[in-house]
Amino acid sequence: MPETPESRRSVILTAIAGVLATAIGIVLSFVIHWFPPEASAQAKNTDRLYHVLVIASIPIFVLVATVILYCVWKFRMRPGQELMDGPPMHGNTRLEVFWTALPAALVLSLVSYSFVVLHENEKKLPGREIQVGVTGQQFFWDYEYPSSVTGGAPLKSYSLYVPKGESVYFDIHSKDVIHAFWIPAFRLQIDAVPGITTHYRATPIRLGTYPVVCNLLCGVGHSFMRSAIHVVTPAKFKAWIKSQMGKPSTVATG
Amino acid sequence: MEAASIAHPPGGGPAEHEHHGPPPAHSSSRVDPQLLGMLLFIISEIMIFGAFFTAYFFIRVAQGDQWPAPGTQLPVYPTLVNTCILISSSFTMHWAQTSIKKGNRFGLKAGILTTFLLGVTFLFLQVNEYANIGFAPQDAAQQTIFYSLTGLHGAHVTIGLILLAIVTIRSWRGHYTPEEHRGVEVPGIYWHFVDIMWIVVYTTVYII
Amino acid sequence: MRATQMILTRLRAPGFYRAFAGVAFGIAFAAALTWVVRMSTGHTTYTHYLSPDAILTVSLIGCPIFFLIGLGAFDYWFYWVSGRPTRPESHANHGAYSWKDYFKVNTDHKVIGVQYVVTSFFFLLVGGLIAMLMRIQLAQPGSKFVDANTYNGLFSVHATVLIFFFVIPVFAGLANFVLPLMIGAPDMAFPRLNALSFWMLPLGGAIMLLSFLAPGGSFSDGWTAYAPLSTVSPIGQNFFSIGVQFAGASSVATALNFLVTIITMRAPGMSFFRMPLLVWANFSTSLLVVIATPFVAASQFMVLLDRALGFNFFDADKGGNVLMYQHIFWFYSHPAVYIMILPGFGIISEILAVKSRKPIFGYRMMAFSLLAIVLLGFTVWAHHMFTSGMPAWLRIPMAITTVIIAVPTGIKVFSWLATLYRGVLHVDTPMLFALGFLITFSAGGISGIMLAMLPLDIHVSASYFIVAHLHYVLFGGSLFTIFAGVYYWFPKMTGRMYDERLGKWHFWSTFIFFNLTFGPMHILGLEGMPRRVATYAAQFADMNLFISICSWILGAATLIFLYNMVNSWRGGPRAEANPWRALTLEWQVSSPPPVFNFDRVPTVVGGPYEYGVPGAVHGIFTPAPLPSEVRTQTAGNVPVPSGGE
Ligand code: HEA
Ligand code: HEA
Ligand code: CUA
Ligand SMILES: [Cu+2]
Repeated sequence: MPETPESRRSVILTAIAGVLATAIGIVLSFVIHWFPPEASAQAKNTDRLYHVLVIASIPIFVLVATVILYCVWKFRMRPGQELMDGPPMHGNTRLEVFWTALPAALVLSLVSYSFVVLHENEKKLPGREIQVGVTGQQFFWDYEYPSSVTGGAPLKSYSLYVPKGESVYFDIHSKDVIHAFWIPAFRLQIDAVPGITTHYRATPIRLGTYPVVCNLLCGVGHSFMRSAIHVVTPAKFKAWIKSQMGKPSTVATG
Repeated sequence: MEAASIAHPPGGGPAEHEHHGPPPAHSSSRVDPQLLGMLLFIISEIMIFGAFFTAYFFIRVAQGDQWPAPGTQLPVYPTLVNTCILISSSFTMHWAQTSIKKGNRFGLKAGILTTFLLGVTFLFLQVNEYANIGFAPQDAAQQTIFYSLTGLHGAHVTIGLILLAIVTIRSWRGHYTPEEHRGVEVPGIYWHFVDIMWIVVYTTVYII
Repeated sequence: MRATQMILTRLRAPGFYRAFAGVAFGIAFAAALTWVVRMSTGHTTYTHYLSPDAILTVSLIGCPIFFLIGLGAFDYWFYWVSGRPTRPESHANHGAYSWKDYFKVNTDHKVIGVQYVVTSFFFLLVGGLIAMLMRIQLAQPGSKFVDANTYNGLFSVHATVLIFFFVIPVFAGLANFVLPLMIGAPDMAFPRLNALSFWMLPLGGAIMLLSFLAPGGSFSDGWTAYAPLSTVSPIGQNFFSIGVQFAGASSVATALNFLVTIITMRAPGMSFFRMPLLVWANFSTSLLVVIATPFVAASQFMVLLDRALGFNFFDADKGGNVLMYQHIFWFYSHPAVYIMILPGFGIISEILAVKSRKPIFGYRMMAFSLLAIVLLGFTVWAHHMFTSGMPAWLRIPMAITTVIIAVPTGIKVFSWLATLYRGVLHVDTPMLFALGFLITFSAGGISGIMLAMLPLDIHVSASYFIVAHLHYVLFGGSLFTIFAGVYYWFPKMTGRMYDERLGKWHFWSTFIFFNLTFGPMHILGLEGMPRRVATYAAQFADMNLFISICSWILGAATLIFLYNMVNSWRGGPRAEANPWRALTLEWQVSSPPPVFNFDRVPTVVGGPYEYGVPGAVHGIFTPAPLPSEVRTQTAGNVPVPSGGE
């Protein structure tokens, strides 16, 4: 531990530098929002989790970095010290217990919080929920609205419309290899696996059209296996369903 | 590029080194290196089986498919006979090992030979079973698992038989002494492993 | 007449002539075998008796084996089997007296170590070169530099070569050279197995690279080769499935060798808690390899069976299970990531202790945390499958175990920092890479912890955020430790000093442009750019161009290293035995060490890192009588498996 006032000063200086770096890092992580638009309720929760994680991570990283820089600054070999050795410190139990317990507590609380967010994102909300079938195949997506939604015959379509504010439950299948149904604006994805049906639940909260990405290597066309999701008002949604029910062409699906 | 050649000890050179050898290594453990090596090798062998048993688990337990596949049945009792043959070969192997320890060469030869022959019989019956079982690995997942587990074990029996063949030849050539018989010991361990593994495969695939 | 004579003798003697004859034989063998099998199973199953695919596949397995036989990797065992005298006391193929000896089956762990390191660095250059091509393709969206299939092949081979044929073997190589010296052993426990496991490496790597010549292009399903895509894709995939078998067999054999060597051949007085941490690290790594690697072998066997013989492991229509592949694959491949970092931890511990002239802080905790990581490493595989559609409950325990790994790793990082504190830091190239490692690896590890947080991973999984994480831990982690280790032991391995100035240049250019290349990828991932795409949305264009440019400079930085190594090895100033004033045993012998390491096995009397402790010693060379002819006779066959005679 620092003895001379001189070295105490340098420790304080370093500490200040570290705190500053941490502050700047955290502020940056807030002002610059890297994510796509928050188009679903889930997105809001996930982004909140992300900010919590960043706030927890930056201090750790800065700590590691500043300690290294401080040691290089203060303890690097000066001319004449070529044959000198450092003090033989073999360990310090209290310190070791501390840096075992603290990270443990930190990561466990973080992961518990992530479970809370996960539950928020996946729980079924009261009120109406529409179902949409999603089928991936090399190399395109098609969608199916069951009669519970159309009120008539089930509707197959290559374009995906969902009503704003209503919870949507996706049933995801694959016809050939594994694909992944990713809606970055919703912060949601899950694989489309041959042989089983996977699901997720999203509540669109923002009107607009957002990319749908196949996010699992599925062959030559993987890079081009893209689609779009249109979030529209419930009224518009009903109208769209009606318009689609008209034309039989969309029913024909490879 | 210059190699480690400048490491020549004074006057050193290839010719020199035919004679000079390394200092005897200090043996820091009571276990014999080759036994330890074989044990570790067996651990990774067990893991290979473990992976295929994982497949078995996924098809039969996680996925809950009917076992054996609908419309097929497994020859439980013929294979039971075969199992007994393989197990008895473990005892003859043990006989061979104890004999050489006691310096009884006849016991070694007889034991190792019978072990070898029993192993061959097992393999022959296994192949025969494949020929008459009436389904193919291409049919469905259950058949795939059946063939891959028994086949994997069959492959190990084959390896074991090769080792045994070597031991047999060498014991006929008069190798091995009561003091120096790792050449029998180590393949023996492997053979016992192959037998125990079969008991596991038999119970999981045929009986349960 | 004379010529044919000579050729015949050449073909009979072990060596490359016989090896390539073996390859030719392998192809013939494959053709014959497949013909016979297909004929016996008859027209009902096969329309043609001679199938190029079948022959190719069998050759891929057969040729390397016959090559090894031809090369002489098995000669000793063949002698041993036939009970002929095996001359165990002969050291004809031990040690290197000219560069030619590096191209033979050599049983000297030091020669094998160098062979390993050089070979795997060749694969680093190839894998890096491929990365450069990938970055050309990704420099702007919609680029036509290569087509999508080729691109998928590029990153698949890039990753496969760098993981299976660079990081894993180069660690095995470094340890091969220094580990026996460190524990005071004259060689590895099984020198011939050691040689065999090296020679499997170039063969497996060759298979991987040759896949580019396969009809339909190289394997292109990523280094993870998920079924069922890998069971339906072109023949190139067989190159992966089979090449991995050789890499796997090689690393299992080496790991087994390390474990036996460490357990049975330590010098007197070298108790487990006097072992240098590099030895501890390789001990833990070898445990991981022996237990986990069979799973990747099995997974590829299954893919091969599905592909070649129409088995149904992964065919959902026939009752197969698709997620099963991912479980089996990741049960190996997560431990594999620790296989790719634990030896690096060992290297860092060596360097930080020596270069800051202080004992490692909390030595025992350092050792135990390694074992803790080994144990935990087996309990987290499904964190690669959070979005795979596996049972939802399984995500919870996996997330918990995953974050807990931060604790043992944290213990190591903080102990390293404490080792620096108040030391006398020699900030030369190895030290720079060690310090750089601490920073970049911490970043990569922390992003890993973020990935364990389910909702976030559900968003960024399989995005460029993953690519960023894996390069921060693999390049900023593993590769930095490898560079550090190569610089640190360069004097010991070659007897020459490297050029310090170039070394510093190499570090700074690598460190800066590494971060500029892979840092922005985090952002790309959050923004929603998927990985494994040959082209991407226009919104990502600028950042990708920036990344590409930085990545090319990063590549060029590697050429500085290349130049430094080649030049210093050929003409660098001679290195004295112990340029770093280190205590561990490998530095107590000449540089490079004598062919048989020690004239007499040293006795260990203290810990390996007692810097600053007045008059502390680690090992002493007890005066022993000069080896008599008799003793060397027995001595010769101590480390080798001498069967019955
Ligand atoms: C050397 C290789 C290596 C290493 C060491 C790691 C280490 C870790 N990895 Fe990583 N990982 C990869 C290589 C590696 N990884 C690769 C190649 C992939 C992609 C595979 C593919 O799909 O192609 C991957 C993918 C990957 C995923 C899957 C992402 C996805 O596909 O959706 C996850 C998820 O949990 C993950 C987590 C972790 C964690 C928690 C660690 C931990 O071990 C990290 C622990 C270290 C630290 C935490 C830093 C030091 C500690 C401190 C400074 C103490 C204080 C810290 C805290 C309190 C947080 N990794
Ligand atoms: C140790 C492992 C390792 C290393 C060192 C690297 C190094 C690099 N990697 Fe790689 N990478 C992976 C492991 C690694 N990578 C893995 C596991 C994946 C996942 C693959 C998958 O999705 O399946 C991946 C994927 C991956 C991607 C994503 C591909 C995609 O998903 O579409 C990208 C994209 O930029 C990339 C880039 C780079 C770059 C620029 C480097 C640079 O650091 C390279 C620097 C260059 C060199 C080190 C050598 C330079 C050589 C020369 C300049 C020529 C000289 C050559 C001769 C003389 C012969 N890598
Ligand atoms: Cu479908 Cu990628
Ligand atoms: Cu992992």
